[in-house]
Amino acid sequence: MSAQRRERGLRAVPDGSPASATPAEARRDDAARLADLLVRSGRGDASAFEQLYDALAGTVHGLALRIVRDPHLAEDVAQEVLVEVWRVAARYRPDQGSARAWVLTIAHRRAVDRVRSEQSHADRVIAHGARQSGDVEHPEQVVEAMDAEWRAARVRRGLAALTPLQREAVELTYYKGYTNRQLAESLEIPLGTAKARIRDAMIRLRDAWEVAR
Amino acid sequence: MNENVHALIGAYAVDAVSPAERVEFEAHLGACDDCSVELVGMREAAAVLAEAEAVAPPASLKGRVMESIAQTPQLAPLTSDDAASPDADPASTVPAEGAPSAVPLASSRKRLWPRLALAAASAAVLAVGGLVGSSLVERRQDDLALEKDVMMVTSAPDAHSMDLGLGTAHLVVSEKMESVVAMGDDCPHPKDGMSYQLWLVMDDGTKEAGPTFMPDEDGTFMAIMEMDMEGAAAIAVTEEPMGGSAEPTSAEVAVVEL
Repeated sequence: MSAQRRERGLRAVPDGSPASATPAEARRDDAARLADLLVRSGRGDASAFEQLYDALAGTVHGLALRIVRDPHLAEDVAQEVLVEVWRVAARYRPDQGSARAWVLTIAHRRAVDRVRSEQSHADRVIAHGARQSGDVEHPEQVVEAMDAEWRAARVRRGLAALTPLQREAVELTYYKGYTNRQLAESLEIPLGTAKARIRDAMIRLRDAWEVAR
Repeated sequence: MNENVHALIGAYAVDAVSPAERVEFEAHLGACDDCSVELVGMREAAAVLAEAEAVAPPASLKGRVMESIAQTPQLAPLTSDDAASPDADPASTVPAEGAPSAVPLASSRKRLWPRLALAAASAAVLAVGGLVGSSLVERRQDDLALEKDVMMVTSAPDAHSMDLGLGTAHLVVSEKMESVVAMGDDCPHPKDGMSYQLWLVMDDGTKEAGPTFMPDEDGTFMAIMEMDMEGAAAIAVTEEPMGGSAEPTSAEVAVVEL
């Protein structure tokens, strides 16, 4: 019964390597561990939070870096996000999704808010210049290099499932912090089309990765 | 329920929304189980995008974060009795499931009309749209204050949403917060020189004046009325001269039974 459920969850595995060793399997164990660490952090357990830090700081920082670009700013954002995670950890509810997604939702919003407030000064949003995913060179060492390769391949596969227009919408909103209105105006498409495009893209990504529970 | 709001889910999942849209969508989430479920999947997908970006932060960051948390008090968990505070949890915006749909009016039964009267007097301050006269800075601060208040209402555990009948605009009512929020993004404009005004219609048919509001050029507006629900039968909207009236001077353009 639960074995069947596991089977289903395993469909996202890239190849037929032994089940216990697949990244997806490791991921699931990892997800349960992170949820536990986050819950314990919420109860004031600093050592649990430290382990959570070790597991997620690289992703939080990397996401901030990708969005705000400036390394110092990215570090600031990462620090704010991680302290915020500690502050609000008791509000995490496992039935609302994974601990990882919960933390990264905070991180993404904070990074986007930061880039928008910067943009309101610098008006950087006007220069459009859509980039393909992965064209940013990070000189820093990528954490967990072995796993990183699998992750990158996974993202490439997901993005490849999108139409070019959907990919562009994800690029401009998720990675660059455009609002749906900015997306519509910069691409000269109706607002409803912009909203639908983002929605369709996220549904397709979700389905490609089978991350819905 | 509201097709326009529903369509925002993807944009909301990737934070591609304005503050007003964020508030509006979160109000919608409370009333739409489908969106709540769908959002979980989209957020997980967004997390996959983020994971591929991992870059180790400078080693010094860990020391600073650990030092900082040692001095940072933590929020207590939410219970089903709590009204979620707007900044309590930036990630978990899905209102508590299983929250009681009707919360008994517990504490204050006093009317909050002094505040409401103030709201009506400074109606331009309280309505997001149509703030032509105020400076951008003031407007921004007013917007933020309003959004915060609106968020308090829309994230209350007993918040429920009803169609208002002005375009796809809707009301969000929280008895617990003793407030009614009206918002929309495709509201038709009132006649020249007029603005909309909210009214609380009592059981005995009398009407108590609420704030005025004016949609902006896109038809977006947001307004809040603080009130005790006791003895209230409906919320009505009329068109009134700018600044609002003490008594309605025209027929209702919308009525929502409570």
